[in-house]
Amino acid sequence: MAGDALWYEAAMVVGITNALNVVADALGPLMTPVKRGGGPPEAVAIYDDILAFYGAPGEVPLPFGLAAQDPGYLGDLWAAVKRAFSDNQLGRRLKTSLAFAVSLTTRSAFGTAFHLGEMRRLGVGAGGIMEVVGVVQMFSSYTKIADTLQLEPDMGDIAPVDRSPAPGGPPPA
Amino acid sequence: MPTVRLRDPEEYPEPARRAFELAKQWFAHDFRQPAAMSRVMAWDPHFGGPHGRAMKRAMAPGEFSRGEKEMVAAVVSGVNACGY
Repeated sequence: MAGDALWYEAAMVVGITNALNVVADALGPLMTPVKRGGGPPEAVAIYDDILAFYGAPGEVPLPFGLAAQDPGYLGDLWAAVKRAFSDNQLGRRLKTSLAFAVSLTTRSAFGTAFHLGEMRRLGVGAGGIMEVVGVVQMFSSYTKIADTLQLEPDMGDIAPVDRSPAPGGPPPA
Repeated sequence: MPTVRLRDPEEYPEPARRAFELAKQWFAHDFRQPAAMSRVMAWDPHFGGPHGRAMKRAMAPGEFSRGEKEMVAAVVSGVNACGY
């Protein structure tokens, strides 16, 4: 997993996953999501794209239904989510597994269930799911031991520095 | 600043020092000193031993590669806001 591009992608998955989860977990019980055809017409095409991406008929995942009161906002939110989870240097299967790990770690009921379902849909077996659960569980232990003892980082410099420019940027001088 | 004094490797018994060598192989990195977490876990081998074995089992290649699992571990550490 060398090179910064992979880690930029992973960070974006973590961020947007948390963004979806906080709204779904907190507002899901309090607000009614907009159903397909029940909201602004501009939202219909976005809904269709969301449903196609997740390969599921019916209603879009909760956070998108909640955002659909403002189709402009929904469109941008969805574009970011779709970009973050699409195959790129990291594959969608791993990105979804990262999202599951984030959701489980942050105790997001929505995210844990949603991304677990997505992992299964994308072909991750029971063994693979247990592998991710094991990593989440063990590193949820290590992190708290480290925090309790206020350990200082001592492994931050073992990876080589990536000197490549930002995408589209000039090569290093 | 750690809330405990991390012992130097030579303050540990021989089995722990062997474990520090194995940790170098695990990380494929020649640490000047054993990593702080390695030294913490070596304090109580009856905890650190099984904990370390569970970690290695969880991190072993399976449906996901070791590298992919390191990335999962990194995001778990990140969302736990763990600076270590």
